[in-house]
Parts: sequence; C-alpha cells; structure tokens
Amino acid sequence: MRLDDMFEYVLLSFRADRGRALMSSLGIIIGVISIVVMLSVGEGLYGGVNERFGDLDMDLITVRPGSDMGHGGPGDRPRSTPEEPAELSEKDVKIIENVGGVGDVYPLKVTNALLSFRGDNTTIRVLGVAPENHADLEEVVDRGRFLVDSDYKTAVVSHDVADNFFRMKISPGNKIRLYRTEEGRHMDFKVVGVLEEDEDPTYASENTIYITHRAMEDLLDLEDYHYSMIMVRAKDSSRVETVAEEMNEDLSRIHRDEAYTVEPLTTRLESMLEILVMIKYALAGIGSISLIVGAIGISNVMMLTVRERTQEIGVMKAIGATAWEVRTLYLLDAGMLGLVGSLVGILLGVLISNVIGSVAMIPVAVTGQSIAFGLLFGVLITSIAGVYPANKAAKLDPIEALQAE
Amino acid sequence: MSVVEIIDLEKTYKVGDMDVPVLKGISLWIEPAEFVALMGPSGCGKSTLMNILGCLDRPSSGRVLLKGRDVGDLSDGELARIRRDDIGFVFQSYNLIGRMSNLMNVELPMTLKGVSRDQRKRRARELLAEVGLDHRLDYSPLNLSGGERQRVAIARALANDPAIILADEPTGNLDTKSTKEIMKILRGLNEEGRTIVMVTHDIETTENCSRVVWMRDGRVGDDAS
Ligand SMILES: Nc1ncnc2c1ncn2[C@@H]1O[C@H](COP(=O)(O)OP(=O)(O)OP(=O)(O)O)[C@@H](O)[C@H]1O
Ligand SMILES: [Mg+2]
Repeated sequence: MRLDDMFEYVLLSFRADRGRALMSSLGIIIGVISIVVMLSVGEGLYGGVNERFGDLDMDLITVRPGSDMGHGGPGDRPRSTPEEPAELSEKDVKIIENVGGVGDVYPLKVTNALLSFRGDNTTIRVLGVAPENHADLEEVVDRGRFLVDSDYKTAVVSHDVADNFFRMKISPGNKIRLYRTEEGRHMDFKVVGVLEEDEDPTYASENTIYITHRAMEDLLDLEDYHYSMIMVRAKDSSRVETVAEEMNEDLSRIHRDEAYTVEPLTTRLESMLEILVMIKYALAGIGSISLIVGAIGISNVMMLTVRERTQEIGVMKAIGATAWEVRTLYLLDAGMLGLVGSLVGILLGVLISNVIGSVAMIPVAVTGQSIAFGLLFGVLITSIAGVYPANKAAKLDPIEALQAE
Repeated sequence: MSVVEIIDLEKTYKVGDMDVPVLKGISLWIEPAEFVALMGPSGCGKSTLMNILGCLDRPSSGRVLLKGRDVGDLSDGELARIRRDDIGFVFQSYNLIGRMSNLMNVELPMTLKGVSRDQRKRRARELLAEVGLDHRLDYSPLNLSGGERQRVAIARALANDPAIILADEPTGNLDTKSTKEIMKILRGLNEEGRTIVMVTHDIETTENCSRVVWMRDGRVGDDAS
C-alpha cells in the first residue's frame, strides 16, 4: 500500500468520525497547551530575573552581619556557641577599601519611616548612604542633584516616591518630614534630587528615600550606629570571587567570634537562576504528565476503535493487507492525531501564554524551544500510545475478525 | 497446470486439550476455467477448506499448491500477497466496509497493491458497471440491498484479476430473485474463463457448475454420490 493512500485511509476515518478524533485529541491538546504554557512561564520568569539582574552589578559584593546558610564566610566554620552578628562600622569600610581589586565601597543603613508631604503620609524605605562613594547614583539623577558629604537635612527620593505616592508630585526644593513613630521623633528634610525611573542599581530600589549617614544617625538616635550592610564594587567583575575571598580573610581578623557574610551578588543570582531552571522543568513536568494522561486517553479511544473495526480489519487482511500494513495504518492514525492535536495545542498554548502574560503581569517568553518541545513530545507520546492498539489490530486473526459483527 | 492442487490435506483444531479433526485427508484438483460447487452437510468442513484454499488459514498437514506454488512454506506476509493478487473472496455476509463508498470498496484490493489512483478508479468503475451498479458508485454499501451488496463484493473480488474466485455461500443470505442475478453474474464470469469454487446448500445454484464436489465429515466424494 502506498503512503499517500495510507494517509487517505486515515483521513477518511477522521472525516467519518469527527467526534472520535476530537475526543481522543482533546487530551493531547490540553497536554501540549500545558507544556507550552508552563515552559513559556518558566522561561519568562527565568528571562525576567536574568534580565533584571543579569546585566547589572555583576561586580557587586555584599557584606552583611550574621551568617547566611549555605554560603561562604566564617559562618560556615563548625562552632560550638552561636556567634554574635558582626557590627559593621567605618573600620570595616577602611579594611575593605585596602583589599586589592576593590573599587567603590558603599556602607548602607536601611530603615523604615513614615514620610509626610503636604498632609499625606506613607511608609517608605530610608537608605542612609555615604554620598562621596555613590558615583553610580549620581549618574541616575533625573532632576536636581545627588547628596554630597556635607549634606545633613537633605534627601533624594526615588522616582515612584516623587511621582506616584502623593497627590502632589515631589520636586527638588520641596520640604518633607520623616517620622519614627515608635520613638515619637521626626525630622524635616529638603528634597534636593529625584532619581530616574527603572535605573536604580541592584541594591537601591523603588519606594526609597536617600539621606546621609549623619542624618540617619540623628533620625534613629542610636548609641552606637553601625551599617546594615556594605556594598562593594570589584574593579574587575571577572574577579569578584577572589576579591570576596580576600575581603573575607581580612575582615575575619577584626571579627573573630562574630558572624558576617561576604557574598558576591552573582552567587545569589546564580542560585536564584538555578531554582528558576528547576521551576521551569518542574512546570514542564506537570505539563508532560497531563500529556501522558492525554496519551492514555488516545490509547483507550484507539482500542475502542480497533474493537469497533474488528470486522473491517478482518476484511482488509482477507483481501491482502499485511500485518505490517495494518499496524502502519493505525500508527499513522495515532501520529496524525498527535500532530494535529499538538499543532492546535501549540496555537492555543501560545495564545494562553500571552493572555497570562498580559493579565497576570508575569513575564512570559514563548520560545522556539518550547514550541518544538511541545510538538515533538506531543507527536512522540501519541505515537507511543498508538503502538498497543495498532499491534492489537495487526495481530487480529482474519477468520475470527470476519465473524465479528 | 491445475490452478489448485490439494494433496492429503488435513486440518485439526485444538480446543482446549482436545484435537478436533475437521479435514481428514482431502485430495482435490481444480483446473483452469472450472466452476466447482462444494456441497455437504453443515459442519463437514467446507468453510475450513475454503479458508485454507484462500490462504487465510494453514493446513495441519498435506500440501496445497496454488498455480503450482506450495503455499505451506510461505510467511504470513507472502500469504497476504497471495490473497491480494491471486484470490478473490466472496463471502456470505458480503464483508464490505460501510464507511467507504462502493467505489472505494472495489478499489481497496488495488489500493493495497499500490495501483495508481486513476488506474484503480477506472477499473473499479468498469467492474461496478459489469455487475450493473454504475449508478451506485458513491453510495455506501449500507444503503444497498443484499443482492446489490453481493454484486459489489464480486466486483471487489475481481479487482486484481485473481487466479481463482472463492465464494462461500454467496447466495446464502439472498432471496430467489437476487440469487438468480448473482448466479447469472458468476456463470458469466466462468464463461469468460474464470476459475470459481463455490460453497452452496442450494442444488439449483449448481446447474451451471462444471462439477459438484461432495464433502462429508472432512472427506470429499464424487459428483456421483
Ligand atoms: N477455529 C475453530 N476451532 C475449532 N473448531 C472449529 C474452528 N473452525 C471450525 N471448527 C469446526 O470445524 C467444523 C467444520 O466447520 P466449517 O465452518 O468448515 O463447516 P461448514 O461445512 O462450512 O458448515 P456450514 O455449512 O454450516 O457453513 C465444525 O464442526 C466447526 O465447529
Ligand atoms: Mg461454512
């Protein structure tokens, strides 16, 4: 039997029995949809994170008090008594600045406060900075200027705080007030600058107001003021790991029994990306399971078809079809269902992915890879599902099959 | 050369542990252009013999030669080729495929053989015209009467120009009028030179046969009996 005639035979049964074709391919369609959607969402999450953090700040190293499970630093040493978190101060900054390969060093103090502007209040993040080091933030000033070391009651705000948080927009020159509600204290600031949208370095972010450490010290009114973290920029981003190790060594001399963590940002990013890759494949796995369930459905429907067509298969064999030809016909049947089902599934999957992307605001990336994977897996699984029924058909005894009515 | 040579054919079915002998040593020659009627009481093994002749089943022992070729040594695939190219089956229950048109049913043996679309459609039309059904090409066999269905089945049996036509009670389900029509077609085919073996219970249908072979309990006798 020629291949084109085989296709015609298979198409005839699709046309004659649309219900069967739809019913059996429904499972495949849903399976392929879920594979494509899951892969696209996974890929989108991965790509989103990678894009947001990947290009930026690969040269950044963070130094934080306390130990961080699973990462480098003295915290990894076996120890009998829990260590105190290290207190990071100007001394640490000096030590770090003397490590070879270290560029800018940003000691940061983070807290929250209530920001009041023309009668409106909102809670925001307050970042205490040492202005002379922050060439990076100076570059992303949209209006006004960034802080300088001599500033005291002056502040710079992120773009969203300036534009979206209050009825009136905050502009350089405006007066704002910060409340520390627990302590019942407040301080007035003059805004001198607004940062650009979306251009903050990794350690900065939206919803933030920047002030100098001097102002922060008075706002918090602490007995001994120390930093929440120190951000360090390596001069050469390919050497961040070595620079971090040297910093770790030098710092360990002044923090003998205190816990602190030196960690290149890339380590963070890498482990995050690793998790996202795992999530992506876990999602694809869920999709594949639904596809396999769909394939079992196909197998069942095909078994029913073979049983219904027992007599027809008997006739085919009686008038000269070989077992091989019968098997090929029914495998082709499954393969075509798989192909059509997968194509429909891919179409709907791409559509649904985009809808999810725009409705749920999740980054979604439909890649050729996920489409190819959906198609390949769809056709493959369906064909495998067809093997058993096709063999059943091929092995039918023609005499017995002819007697079936 | 005989179209069919059967020598000491035996067929024994296994039912559970029991051996059930059905054909008990049959020898039979069928010459070209013969029209043989096979008669005998129900259960004597006529259909079993026809199935073996038609290469749907294998002998337990003995030899069956079709056009001089021993079919005993052939593989399943080779037997299928013989069924396709050298055998034309006509069954009591027609065995047409309902979801195909009459034309496609007649095409089917040629489709299996790989005959080109144009050629097989032309031949299928001719064959259906020969049996008087050229106005029912695109009908499903399900919409035909029993006699018409059997005529489609005969057209299908002729598709690949077989060496022999095997008809197992072709008129068994038909009324007298349809039986006459079918017998007229078979007689015509025989007159054109086709070799036909037909199982029948109806002695009247044998009037145009060149020979009647009687079977009883797995053995053959003569026309004499
Ligand atoms: N597959 C089988 N297994 C066991 N016994 C079988 C099988 N096929 C046929 N038989 C037995 O072989 C015997 C002959 O059957 P067969 O169908 O050849 O008879 P027949 O002469 O065609 O009868 P009828 O005139 O009723 O069609 C019967 O007794 C039947 O029960
Ligand atoms: Mg019989």
